[in-house]
Amino acid sequence: MQPQVNIPFSNTETIPGVTIVQSMGVVTGSTVRAKNVFKDIGAGLKNMVGGELRAYTELLQESRNEALYRMLVDAQARGANAVVNVRFATSSVAGGAAELLAYGTAVVIQ
Amino acid sequence: MLEAVFWIVFPIFLATSPWILSGIGTFIYQPKKKQQLLVREQASAQRGDVLSTLSKPLSGKEVKQTQLVLANVVMSPSWIQILIGGILSLFGGEINVFTKMVDWSRREAKQRLREEVEASDFDEVINMRLETTIMTKTKGGKDKTTGVEILAYGTAIKY
Repeated sequence: MQPQVNIPFSNTETIPGVTIVQSMGVVTGSTVRAKNVFKDIGAGLKNMVGGELRAYTELLQESRNEALYRMLVDAQARGANAVVNVRFATSSVAGGAAELLAYGTAVVIQ
Repeated sequence: MLEAVFWIVFPIFLATSPWILSGIGTFIYQPKKKQQLLVREQASAQRGDVLSTLSKPLSGKEVKQTQLVLANVVMSPSWIQILIGGILSLFGGEINVFTKMVDWSRREAKQRLREEVEASDFDEVINMRLETTIMTKTKGGKDKTTGVEILAYGTAIKY
């Protein structure tokens, strides 16, 4: 588990109950990750049966948290204290690796 | 004589065993999992649905605390479903096996989001979004689909 950056973030345009003072621009965080070859083989076997591929679910969950963390670090480096309108994008790079991107608008709130 | 029969049956068994396994997966394992999901969904529905795609809570109450919540799932069709889907796509029209599979994964992702919110002390999720990604692997220069990833995310709020 990575260290937590303690700033609020939300996927709504405003954070309810607070006023946004200033926008600090778009912040992004991304990561490309792959599972090890044994997990890939396991997933290949599970493919036969169908249903959930738990190894990949976990992989994407971990990497998405990492991408979010990097986005928050970026926001903090810009002097923002919140991120609003967070969006996610995923693309699979060949060979069981996936790229996760998290982006949003860094803002200063009161 | 018996040996001859064995050497005929054994290779056939070896060749078809993945398909037998796939059949068990499709017709026994998957319906069981779907049934479990249905039970979980009904349990959540009794307490009232917490998910909403609106950007503001409908009740208009004052919000004290917010947090981004995520839930994801990677689902894969079985070999038999891919085979049936391939045959159906020759004729065109709706490909029922894939519709059902993607629908199942989406329900699973939404249900996980609900359970995450119910486990924490938040009241509702607003601005929920669903995202779908196709995961592929490259094999012999061709891209093969291994599964679809569904991500459900939203802002959890506390009154």
